[in-house]
Order: sequence, then C-alpha cells, then structure tokens
Amino acid sequence: MTHFARLCLAGALLSHAAAVPGAAGQLPDGSQKQTVLKLCGTCHSANLVLGRGMTREQWGDTVSSMVARGAKGSPEEFSQVVDYLAANFPPKASATKAPAAATTKAKKPASIGQGADDQQVVDDVLADRGKKIYIAECITCHGPKARGANEGPPNLRGPDLVRSVTVLHDRYGNTIGAFLRQGHVTQSGTPSADFTATQIVDLSHFLHQRVGDTLRSGPFNSVLNVLTGDAKAGAAYFNGEGKCSTCHSPSGDLAGIARRYDPPTLQQRYLFPATPSFGGRNAKSGKPVILTVTPPDGPAVTGELVRLDDFNAALRDSAGDHHSWKRTPALKVEKNDPYATHNALLEQYTDKNIHDVVAYLETLK
Amino acid sequence: MRIQSLILFALTTFLASGVLPGQGVTHEMLLHPPADSWPTYHGDYSGRRFSPLSKINASNINSLGLAWVFRTGVSGGVFGASVKATPLLVNGILYFTLPDHVWAVDARTGHELWHYQWESKGGIHLGNRGAGIYGSWLYFETPDCNLVSLNTKTGKERWHKQICDLDQMYYASTAPVIVKNHILTGVSGDDLDVPGYIESHDLETGDLQWRWYAHPQPGEPEAATWPNTEAMLHGGGMTWGESTYDPELNLIYFGTGNPQPVIQGSGRLGDNLYTESIVALNPDTGKIAWYFQPSPHDTHDWDAIQTPVLIDGEIDGVKRKLLAQASRNGYFFVLDRTNGKNIVTKKYAAANWAKGLDAKGQPIPDPAKMPQTDGALVSPNQGGAANWPPPSFSPDTGLFYINATDAYSVYYIFDVDQKPEGWGGNDKGGYSQLILKAIDYKTGDVRWAHKWEGQGSARSGVLSTAGNLVFAGDASNNLVALNASTGEPLWHVNLGNAPSNGPTTFELDGTQYLLVAAGDTLYSFAMLGK
Repeated sequence: MTHFARLCLAGALLSHAAAVPGAAGQLPDGSQKQTVLKLCGTCHSANLVLGRGMTREQWGDTVSSMVARGAKGSPEEFSQVVDYLAANFPPKASATKAPAAATTKAKKPASIGQGADDQQVVDDVLADRGKKIYIAECITCHGPKARGANEGPPNLRGPDLVRSVTVLHDRYGNTIGAFLRQGHVTQSGTPSADFTATQIVDLSHFLHQRVGDTLRSGPFNSVLNVLTGDAKAGAAYFNGEGKCSTCHSPSGDLAGIARRYDPPTLQQRYLFPATPSFGGRNAKSGKPVILTVTPPDGPAVTGELVRLDDFNAALRDSAGDHHSWKRTPALKVEKNDPYATHNALLEQYTDKNIHDVVAYLETLK
Repeated sequence: MRIQSLILFALTTFLASGVLPGQGVTHEMLLHPPADSWPTYHGDYSGRRFSPLSKINASNINSLGLAWVFRTGVSGGVFGASVKATPLLVNGILYFTLPDHVWAVDARTGHELWHYQWESKGGIHLGNRGAGIYGSWLYFETPDCNLVSLNTKTGKERWHKQICDLDQMYYASTAPVIVKNHILTGVSGDDLDVPGYIESHDLETGDLQWRWYAHPQPGEPEAATWPNTEAMLHGGGMTWGESTYDPELNLIYFGTGNPQPVIQGSGRLGDNLYTESIVALNPDTGKIAWYFQPSPHDTHDWDAIQTPVLIDGEIDGVKRKLLAQASRNGYFFVLDRTNGKNIVTKKYAAANWAKGLDAKGQPIPDPAKMPQTDGALVSPNQGGAANWPPPSFSPDTGLFYINATDAYSVYYIFDVDQKPEGWGGNDKGGYSQLILKAIDYKTGDVRWAHKWEGQGSARSGVLSTAGNLVFAGDASNNLVALNASTGEPLWHVNLGNAPSNGPTTFELDGTQYLLVAAGDTLYSFAMLGK
C-alpha cells in the first residue's frame, strides 16, 4: 500500500481564482519574471503556477517537457525560468506533514486547470482515513487503485471508480453518500446505508485523491528506470561507431558525469545537450551558438548569436558589444552550432545505442 | 438537378433558421464568401485558406504598412494572452475570441465596438480558436463547456447550452462551424479516460440535434479494434479541429484526437477506432460515411485534428474531389473525399515511428517506437510535425503549405499498472527545427522547403493568396511573406511575439488588408497611401 502514500508533489495546486486572463493573482517579482512571462505566456496563464509547489528538479522536468512541446527560448532563458519557479514556488511544507487538526481547507489535486473551479479540495488527512475504510469495505471489488477489478469471480468485479461519473460529480460526499444510502455490498457486511456522514466524507476525499493521482500532473508521473543498457556495448559505441570520443573523454570533460546527473537526466542531456534539462545537481545550460559575420567592406566579427532570421543577424562579441546587420547577398553569415553533431546523430541512433551509452556514462562516477 | 437541390437547400435552411438574408451571414455567403468577408473559421468551407485577392502581391509587398493595432487589454499583470482565433469578418466588423472573451472590432479602424466576457466555472484555458456566425448571431465555446450565442450587434447573450461535462475534465476550445441549420461543436480534454464526440445544435434554439461519438457501437465490426467495451467507451478521440464541408456531397470532414490512456496503450491493444481518424459525416444525421485512420493505435498524443483541406484537383489527368491533411504524426495524406480511399501517403517531416504502410495507406506503428519505461527516441515529438495552426492550399501553385517541425523527443512509460489510466507516460526533452514546406498534393513531394533560423519552434497558421504570396510566422517573431512558387522570403515584420493564429486577408473599399494576431494583439496591414 505504499503506493498510496501521498507524495509531497500532490501539494501542487491551483489558486481558487477563476482562470481568466486578468482576473488572476500576480506573479511574484523577481529578476527572471519577464523571462517567465515571455517564454510561458504564449500558452499559459499565471494561474498555472500560482499555488503550485515543486522542487527544482520537478520544475526542471516540467519546463523540459514544455520545450518538447514547442516552448521557445534560449537555454539560458529556460534556466532562468526554472530558477524563478523553483525560488518562488517551492514544495509546500504543509503537504509533507499532517496538520494539527483535520480540515477541509486543504488543497485541490495537482492540476493544470482541468475540471471545475469548485472541484473538491482533497484533504490528505481525511483521505487517509477514507483509505482505511476503502481497504476494509471496497478494495476487493474496486481494486487497489480504485480502477476496478477485472479479475476474480464475476460477482467481485466492481467498476472503475476513477471513471465513475458519480465520483466525478461528487463534492464532499454528496453524490457518493446518496449512492451508498441506497444500499451497496460491502466487504464486512456492514450495510452501506449505516456509514456515518464522516465516513462518507472521508471516502469521498480518498476517491478524489485517486482521481487527482491519475492526472498527468499527478505525483506518480516520473521516469522509472533508464539503466537497461549494456555498459560495455556503450563504451564500444562511444569509442567506435558513435565517434563520441572525437570530442569527449571519460577522464576529461565527462569525468564524474554520473555524480552530477541522475540517470534520466544523463539520458536527456546526452541526447539533447542544447535543450536544458534540470534534474541533475549543478545542471548547466548549454553552450551558445557562435556567429561570424563578414560585411562586404569590413573585417569578420565573431560572437554569440543573439538573433538570426532571414532578414537580420545580430551577435554579442567577447567585449560584450552588440552588433547587428541587415542581411544582404554581400553579407557573409556563418553559424556554428556546437550541438550540430549531436542533432545530426538523432537520425542515426538506435534505442539500444542510447541505453548502452547511458549505461556506460553511468559508470563514470 | 444540382441547381434544384441547391435552391431547395437554401429555401429549407432559410425557413428553418428564420433569419432574413442581408442582416448578416447567409448560407450564400458561407458557400461563396465575398472578398469583403471572412465569414467562417477557415474563410470558406474548403479549409484551404487561399484568397483570390492579389492587390498585395510579390511586386508591391514592400509597400505594405501598419493600418492599425488592437490590444485586447485583458492580459493584465499576468502572463500575456495568446490570440489563436481566426477573426471572422462580416459587414466590415471583425469578431474574435480569447478563452471566455469575445470582441467586435471595426475592420477599417481597429476600434472596439463591444467586448463580452463569460464568467467561467473552470476548464483548461489553453486557447480558443474563434467564433461562428449566422444571421446576426454569434456562437462560441467556453473552456467550461458551454456553447454561447451572442447578438452580433450588441454583444448581448441570447442563450447558452452545456456541450460537455467539466467534472469529467472535458473542456471546449474550437470555433463552432455553421453548416445549413447546424452549429457543429467539438470538444477537448484528455486528462481522464472519456470518449470524444462532436455535436450539432440548432441555429435558433441551440438545442441538440445529434451527437456522434468517436467510437463504434458494441457489436459493430470496428469495435474489434478495441480489446473490450470498457476500453472503447473510455477511449478518447476529442474533436477539437474545425470541420470542412462539401455541399455537393453533403459531408462534413474533421479529425479526431488521441486515444485514452494517452501514452500507455497496453490496456487498449488494437487500432482504436475512431480515434486518430479523418471522418466524414452527414451533417443532417450525424451518421458516418467513411473514415481513414492516420495513426492507428496512437501512443504519442498525435491528434489527427489538422485541417482536412478540400482540394478539387486532378490525379492522372482525371478531375477528383480530394481531401489533404498534413498530420501531426509527420505524414501527408491525400484521400478521395467521396469515399475516403487513400491516394497519397508520404512523410513530410521527420517520422521514425512506422514500419511501413498497410493496404489502406495507413502507417503501421512500430512497437519499438511506442513509449518504453527506459525511453524510446521518437520523431516527431509530442508537439508533432504539425499541430492545430491551419495550413493553406493554393490552387494557383498546386502547393499545400504547412509550417512543419522536424522534432525528436524521448517517450517514457510511467504507469506499469495492470490497468493504466489518464496518460501513463509522457515525452521529455527534445530537439526541433521549424521549416515551412510546400507540398505537391498530387505526389506528396516537398517542392520547396524554407528552414526558419532561430531557436524557437512556435508555429503559426499559413495563408496563401493569388498575389503569389504565402504568409507564415517564422521562429523569430516575424510574420513573413514568401514567394508562393519559390519560397523566397520577400517581406517581414517583427511583431514582438510569435504570430499566434492563421493570418487572413480581405478587401474593404478597394483596399486589401492583411490581418494577424501575435500574443494578445491584432495587427492589420494595408497600403493606405493615397
């Protein structure tokens, strides 16, 4: 039953304010606030994060998955977003310890705004009491996760309660209680109509907790195990076919890499070094793209790419000076992406290559 | 025969609706939109987003200037809003939405006529793609599952009807499409395992006419694409794209979204019809005419809701009624829209997830590229090779234009329960490259591709015009005009935010306007010099 343990992540919650642009609370000030507005605001309202609480690692995962979904910005900017979210929206301390007295003024399930604003706010203490009732009276037919039982004798195959419209429409036991009062089989033989109002509310919190944990924002959504490869084969790929050793060395830049990143982060950083993923200790953002621009009448200027589109080019040189040009046929522009080789490999890797290389990198402690 | 049936059709729908022609949008206007209008989400029923206007063209595009700017002003101190709606234009007035908001704005000046705000009870506020209008009544959907009708003159509410259940975590984001006396309403939401459906409502009363579920009924042959009835009845397939319509065939076309659970498919082995399908329905009955499935047994969240663009084209010298989709899964499909039979299937972006094609022209998913507990490197990523931003087809060039993405990410299984629910996994990280592609509809070959520099992968919709121009957003906040035949970039404007909707164009008082949204703002361009 340990999987029933409520992780502190479940403290993530939305503010109760309606998710209407302009009607919500303010994001706290901070040096990176403008970056957050710029990168996240294309799709999200601030309500998405107001009231949520996660570790830096968890915020990193969230931001990283947003990059996969098309969020736009430089690695440095994404790093700033994670810094800001981790600093301003840390895990809720209260979620990790029981409040002194049970209270229904707890929290909504972790959510990205799904469902009704008046959805039940799950109280973990009451849900825990509800869990005991559930185990005693319901689990045989409705299963350990309330997802129903598909095995066993047909008369013990109860329906899925996470998908139950009675449960989803329920607020603090109002529909679940009405249902149970009509009479329902229980494990102990106790008539369900005899459940007290308190027991029904407790059960209600437990079932809504199960619904919340099913959501993609729920606490169980994390990578399980990526260490399935063969380290020896990984070393062979590293030094052979993959040509990784052309640029990297286990005793040089990769020395102790496995101490710096957990395995899922190691996998992500190796595959997508230009995309920030923040799960590790001392995670750094990627190297800049270098631009060299040669005007028709002047010397070449080299620096970090600031902007390049079909019409303009801009860079920041080593002295910190900004340069920009209108692009013309006579203006020579050379772009040097330090991750071009990594990106080209994406078309070539097999999944076995990937898992083997991660297994090998994990040996570099 | 055809003329007779059209007259009959016009007459019956006129009588059924009771709306006088001339007051606002008429069926004639929807069937043949005048140059001074954009009366439905895609501009017309074909979904091709091609304008026959050519006053703005390759030779004078650099004279285009800013006509006006309209800031919605609802973004307040929080994250900026993002206008994903395609504004409708009727009688010189633009109508557009944000979640819970509708505006009427003078198309010549950008002056606000009215602003309506819905009081929300919840739902995901990710985006709203606009309104439908018939007569002088506007229809739009709210995140909290309501279809709302407003008076186009005053912005006052006439009625609202519930179209989905917020407690089951549905929400609503699509622009309603008006066909005859039907308001077609799609639904969204893939957090819990609930079935997708599309509804038709009465133009006058809003009453439900029919509902079509994105699953077969138990006992039908297609039900064999699910392991059991419970999985099928909780199998997803949301209808969050805007339909196209062929009045001659009297069929509407739309795509359905991902099956549920989204990523972990172990509890729903089989093709999972009618999720991830292009579907043709009779709009009067809601009965299915045919289907084609771009992503059988999807496990990557690749909703096949991209616009089914109707092309009246020629294949091997024979005139054909065609339908083309650049699907989120990286494949371009051309079908015969009379019967759904496949004509072309071809990759138009990076896609490593299929083993080949089946006899029907549908990709066969490779089990090795389904999500894994230790990760599988997949292209495209969850965002897809394309997504909701509408593509364009130009009958002048014969090219289908799509702001496409070559993208990779790693897909993981998180939920190894006997009965996974919800998502059960996700993708992480990734690499993506935005490229505007021009596809020959006859072969699926990419005739030209223009790679957008810049690190962003935000994408916009596309517009093509008889001025031999294509308008699209790049990866650097520019709206760019390109030569439609060659892909050469000709003109740009940096809007400070990524272009966030499908650009439109129209002519008022002899002047051609170009309209696009970026972030919380509408921008109008024209050559106004006298």
